[in-house]
Amino acid sequence: MKTYRPLAPVPPIAGRILDAQLHLLDRQVLDNDGVPVTTVDDVELSAPEEETVIAPGTPAPIITALLTGPVLGTRIFGGRPPSSRLVRIPWKDVADVGVVVRLGVSGENLESGWVERWIRDKIIARIPGGRHDPR
Amino acid sequence: MILGDLLGTPVHDSDGIRLGRVADARFTLDGDPQQLMAGARLLGLVVSPHSWSSFLGYERTGLTQPWPLASLLRWRHRGSFVVMWDDIAVIGEESVRLRDGFTAYSPALDEAGQQ
Amino acid sequence: MKRVLGVALGILTAIGGFVDIGDLVTNAVVGSRFGLSLVWVVGVGVLGICLFANMSGRVAAASGRATFEVIRERLGPRAGLVNLSGSFLINLMTVTAEIGGIALALQLASSVHYLMWIPVAAVAVWLVIWRVKFSIMENVTGLLGLTLIVFAVALFLLKPDWGALAGQALAAAVPAEETASSYWYYAIALFGAAMTPYEVFFFSSGAVEEGWSIKDLIQSRIDVLVGFPLGGLLSVAIAGCAAVVLLPAGIAVTSLSQIILPVAEGAGKVGLAFVLVGLVAATFGAALETTLSSGYTLAQFFGWSWGKFRRPAQAARFHLAMIICLLIGMAVLATGVDPVLITEYSVVFSAIALPLTYLPILIVANDPQYMGEHVNGRPVNVLGMVYLVIILVASLAAIPLMIVTGAGS
Repeated sequence: MKTYRPLAPVPPIAGRILDAQLHLLDRQVLDNDGVPVTTVDDVELSAPEEETVIAPGTPAPIITALLTGPVLGTRIFGGRPPSSRLVRIPWKDVADVGVVVRLGVSGENLESGWVERWIRDKIIARIPGGRHDPR
Repeated sequence: MILGDLLGTPVHDSDGIRLGRVADARFTLDGDPQQLMAGARLLGLVVSPHSWSSFLGYERTGLTQPWPLASLLRWRHRGSFVVMWDDIAVIGEESVRLRDGFTAYSPALDEAGQQ
Repeated sequence: MKRVLGVALGILTAIGGFVDIGDLVTNAVVGSRFGLSLVWVVGVGVLGICLFANMSGRVAAASGRATFEVIRERLGPRAGLVNLSGSFLINLMTVTAEIGGIALALQLASSVHYLMWIPVAAVAVWLVIWRVKFSIMENVTGLLGLTLIVFAVALFLLKPDWGALAGQALAAAVPAEETASSYWYYAIALFGAAMTPYEVFFFSSGAVEEGWSIKDLIQSRIDVLVGFPLGGLLSVAIAGCAAVVLLPAGIAVTSLSQIILPVAEGAGKVGLAFVLVGLVAATFGAALETTLSSGYTLAQFFGWSWGKFRRPAQAARFHLAMIICLLIGMAVLATGVDPVLITEYSVVFSAIALPLTYLPILIVANDPQYMGEHVNGRPVNVLGMVYLVIILVASLAAIPLMIVTGAGS
């Protein structure tokens, strides 16, 4: 077996480190009341979609939003939904990334919650006892 | 750009020699503190020559249990390295090209998932 | 005192909740064909489910994450979806089998045809999921399921030749009239019946439902380590009854009425009354658990709001998914397909799908990022790896054996 020379560690960084696959993608997203909203199906970056030559000294892209919805299908089966169909949770609404991703806002107003709200209002809440507190 | 598109993209050096695929993107939280959580800036990419499927995190943390599963999964990611953002010349759909004389860093993180 | 009571209650519900339609049917079939020569598999299965439930409970308590959230995170969306499809379909098959089981048990008690009971059973399951508090649901079905102890009582009353039974159990050998491949096929079926993946989805999600912390772990460990082995003894008693009465008579079990025949013979009318209550409770309890599990797996994979501790309106997709699953189960049963047959297949498919859930849990139970200091100890890991090998072998051997034996016939 080929042996690999040990590599130097990455130069020390002030901020916390987040490896996207390891710490962010596919994590559960909770709103500010701890209610599950969705999972992190993908992440959007502030870099152009097409092939770009990066001039030296260009500032690094940042995460602009967590993505959910149809993007899960394309991540599994390939392809990419048009940008207009992406369901975004802006990064500024994210309060903490741990074993779950916590938002600092209520899930009630998020675009990503419309399916849940539709099923709730049209079906579940109409069945007797649908708003009954089990505790 | 969507991160999912970047993951799995082949990585070449400046001579066009294939080095592997993008296995992960490393971010650092040192951006704009004017919000709930600091902005996440792309620090670099983790490149793996053999398998780009992030397999359960064994490749970057010091986990050694349960033997021999841990060793096996780590072996699948032997030779992976980190390139910093400054060493990336082109990001495209088909390929990520690195700059001439880029530095390969160790992808290791400590147990808590930090460097 | 309260603590002791809590432990006692936990143990009792673990015993009563251990047996479901899969255990009932598989153990009776095996007893009627192989005597007690496969009893060692129940032991292997029970130790396995103790290990597995204990790990997933610990993951849930330490990280607050239920099994399928962890599977999605660790396997990624693609492998996770394959896993979800497999686990979900097998779980749906088990839901169908359990509802059929309730209906068959009610038919035995009432002489009304079981197809008439299927809508009743499904609606009752839904109502409990819709309205009843999680802990009450758990405890009532678990305690009523304890009446299945009548199988053990009946076995004593039948006054079997204990020496011969022990001989079958200890010197495990393939009976002369059976082939080695059907022996091993049923070994896998028994293993799958004891270690059904839904029990783990349910156990870990239940830990989140009841808001377990690390402090509650000791209690859960006692419940599992005492309750499951005693539940396993119930399984052995079911096989024993079949081995004593049905095997000599040359009856191979194909229906629920044959399973309870030895109880009627050994313990009379009173025994029959107990076993009918036990059958309904055990299948009803398992129908609740599997239906909830189908909601849990979907909701956890897609990140929906879930849990019985929430109002249904606060977990709308979760509740809708369960309603749809119950409707599908009813539709399948309405075609007249034999629930006992569905059960026999479902336990084997459970064994096939087992590695999909077992492996991620084993790995995450070692990850300090989730577990902090509560990662697996060395002995647990050694045992965990041994079981990983057993589970993989059983999973890979199941389909070839199913083809060779014509599904055990």
